[in-house]
Amino acid sequence: MMREMAERLDAWAVARNLEARADGLLTLAPGTLHLLGQTALFEIRAPLTLTVTHDVDLRSDCAHAIETELQRLLKAAGKELDPLGREIWMPKETRYSVLFAGEVVTLKVADLDAILISKALKAPHKNRALVVEYLAQGASPRFMRMASKYRVDLEGFL
Amino acid sequence: MTAMARDLQLRAKKGLAQLERRRRDPRHRRVLGRLVALGLLTTNQEVQDERARLVVSDVLWAGDSEPRFLELLPALLVKRPSLFVDVKALPADLEAVVRALRRNQVPPDFRGVPGAKLQQWLRSVGRRGKLPSRLKAFRFQDDDLALLTRLRDELGITETAVLRRGLRALASATWLR
Repeated sequence: MMREMAERLDAWAVARNLEARADGLLTLAPGTLHLLGQTALFEIRAPLTLTVTHDVDLRSDCAHAIETELQRLLKAAGKELDPLGREIWMPKETRYSVLFAGEVVTLKVADLDAILISKALKAPHKNRALVVEYLAQGASPRFMRMASKYRVDLEGFL
Repeated sequence: MTAMARDLQLRAKKGLAQLERRRRDPRHRRVLGRLVALGLLTTNQEVQDERARLVVSDVLWAGDSEPRFLELLPALLVKRPSLFVDVKALPADLEAVVRALRRNQVPPDFRGVPGAKLQQWLRSVGRRGKLPSRLKAFRFQDDDLALLTRLRDELGITETAVLRRGLRALASATWLR
């Protein structure tokens, strides 16, 4: 869903820039949206049991006008930007893969291990089921390394 | 895989079996089905289309394994009480949260969910953007009351709406001129 939304957002921004150029005004600078949290897990089709609210966790370096348009598009789809989304902590090792690369808007999504480390460290109670399920599937060595580096108490989940 | 990772996996498998038992429980399935049907949650689990009213104790029980149910519960009790069969007798901690939300105040944390997160849901459930109003009492003179009544009748709106419009008109006349 977020990929289509980024496409529509990019088309809107490109159209705005065409108008701005014709009028001799400033254009919207290219920017990136980083998808995090539960929405990112859905988008990468993580092999876990997922339940999400309509909050979308995003970090963005896009122009304000682009963010406003994104909020409008999300609202029309029954979603909402999480106002605390910008404050989400992600490990330094987070790998972002490109979901959509447009002329103005690029959408990237965080990787499974990094999202789960962030969740396990910052909201262990809320995400206990997710972490237990991941550990039961056999967590990756990278996840285990990050868990040890960031002192995530995996025992506490069991 | 290291011995430690293997041991963790083994114990996590037991924990997961327990979680899956809870997810199969009719109480969990009913709550999830209803919240998905209301468009408040999305899931990749199979859900039954549930239209029946919810039982608060079921939501609390299911919330133990899915805290997102607990996140939504207090705001739903305030904005959509008709979704529940038993809104009168709430546990003390839930009652305190609901009381604070009715005044649009940040409630205390509730079973691991931060108060600020609980308050955030007030805007999103029920009528979007509509927040609980708060009671404020004033003393008026007879001529003020007569004017209020006349405006109410002539404009065909409530007395509260007259005061709201009056406040906004005063604000725009004072600050935006």
